[in-house]
Amino acid sequence: MQRIPVSERSGLADAAQMHGFEFTAAGGVTGWDESAYYQFTMGQIQEDLAGPAEELEGLCFEMVERAVNDQAILERLGIAETFWDYLGESWRGGEKNLTGRMDLSYDGTGPAKLLEYNADTPTALYESAVFQWEWLEQAAEEGLIPENCDQFNDVHEAIVQSFAAMGIEGVTHFACNTDIEDDKGTLEYMQECAVEAGLETRLLAMADIGLDDWGKFTDTEEDVITTLVKLYPWEWIMDEEFGQKVPASRVRFIEPPWKAILSNKGMLALMWEMFEGHPNLLPAYFEGDPGADALAGTYVRKPLLSRQGANIQMYRDGALQLASEGPYGDGGQIVQGSAPLPEYGGKYPLLGLWLIASKAAGLCIRESRTLITGPDASVVPHVILE
Amino acid sequence: MGVSLFALAACGEPEVEAAIFENIQQCISNGDASPEQCEQNFREAKSQHAAVAPKYATASDCQADFGAGKCETAPYRSSTGGSIFMPLMAGYMMGSMLGGRRSMAPQPLYRSASSPGTFRTADNRSAGRSTGRTKVARSATSRPSVKTATRSRGGFGSSGRRFGSGAT
Repeated sequence: MQRIPVSERSGLADAAQMHGFEFTAAGGVTGWDESAYYQFTMGQIQEDLAGPAEELEGLCFEMVERAVNDQAILERLGIAETFWDYLGESWRGGEKNLTGRMDLSYDGTGPAKLLEYNADTPTALYESAVFQWEWLEQAAEEGLIPENCDQFNDVHEAIVQSFAAMGIEGVTHFACNTDIEDDKGTLEYMQECAVEAGLETRLLAMADIGLDDWGKFTDTEEDVITTLVKLYPWEWIMDEEFGQKVPASRVRFIEPPWKAILSNKGMLALMWEMFEGHPNLLPAYFEGDPGADALAGTYVRKPLLSRQGANIQMYRDGALQLASEGPYGDGGQIVQGSAPLPEYGGKYPLLGLWLIASKAAGLCIRESRTLITGPDASVVPHVILE
Repeated sequence: MGVSLFALAACGEPEVEAAIFENIQQCISNGDASPEQCEQNFREAKSQHAAVAPKYATASDCQADFGAGKCETAPYRSSTGGSIFMPLMAGYMMGSMLGGRRSMAPQPLYRSASSPGTFRTADNRSAGRSTGRTKVARSATSRPSVKTATRSRGGFGSSGRRFGSGAT
């Protein structure tokens, strides 16, 4: 794993415009940086990243199987009792999952460590699947990178195939907080994939979803919603006014309800409890668990529910080293052993491993200027070269 | 010239084969389908009727569209506890067993007051005037949508307004 500086493509501004990315002469493409790329060997990708990610996915499922049958665990995760049966039924009924991104700390040697699993509403999807791939093709054409470079990137094809294999009937609805351009863009991309898979689709704002007399959710054209692809976290859905109506609505959600267990950072503590010592897991505990003494004051404290690097605190030998702000301070926390991101000239890459329908399908690297990867991180492309 | 799957209707929309009957007895007398098929298809169409039929808040609104004596109360209540009205089922379209599109499901049919000779799907698409084996516009064989009346909106979205992006 190397970080290699490289010239930007000559047509970067045009490419950004074509794909609807914000572009400024001074800052380039917002959320994207192609002034460098990361180079991996095939062995690193397959044996250190993709293989372990799929293995972890299997362990995650064992953990979910246990959680849905143990009310104490669901309570520990802060999931309201009214949803316990609903989550369990969605798991036992085999409701299919589509996307997830495991965030890993890895420096090219030794086992990658799972920092967290964005199992419910992962983003940077379009940058990973489309923009990064286009960069590879164009950078090779322009001679910026070796001609025989490859990339770990089957994300687009995998999503299209998975949509086609889900057995969806009728219209598939897509919903998010459409006021957020990034979220809307990601969802529109997923919608494009669904269309490519032959599905009939419609996109709307979560806030525009209606409820009818029979407990069905409706769209703005008075049609009943039967399948909903949402870029809106399960914990929000469960907490909001219509949340109580969700179980009886019989809507098929993508991601399915049981993903609420995996997108909760309490899963890191539960995974460690079940699979302590696994090379790709870090020790992790619910805050207040006496077991956390084993971390000896060097750990990362994270809220059970937070996003984009918010409300993270890093401690070393009992002293706070680094903290990020955010609105997610309330509620439970976990503490996790430290596996700092590697540093490459002041940049800290976080490796996002895409799982599409539980198969490792691609890599997305986000770089920050601190050890905490926040919303200001930029996606940096990668290549595979022997 | 080979046999083409679709024939073109006058309006230009492709037509597909279908079979339409007013009731089980008519289907059995016709003889193209077995009595079991006639009954099974009727049951499936009837089971969708309450969900897909157009809904009205008053009997007079329903009768204005479907005619006097052609409406019934739906097995639902409005949010205020009032009755909901819908047209009587006037016939049914068979599934794919008598030709037509693959994966065509049986569905209920209705007759409107303004054009009582014509069968209409629950989505108000014409299914022609004939019973027995016939040809109908392809769109008339689509699965009818569930009819509803939204009572409230805005029960989702508050967290998004508070926190912004829902992505991770």
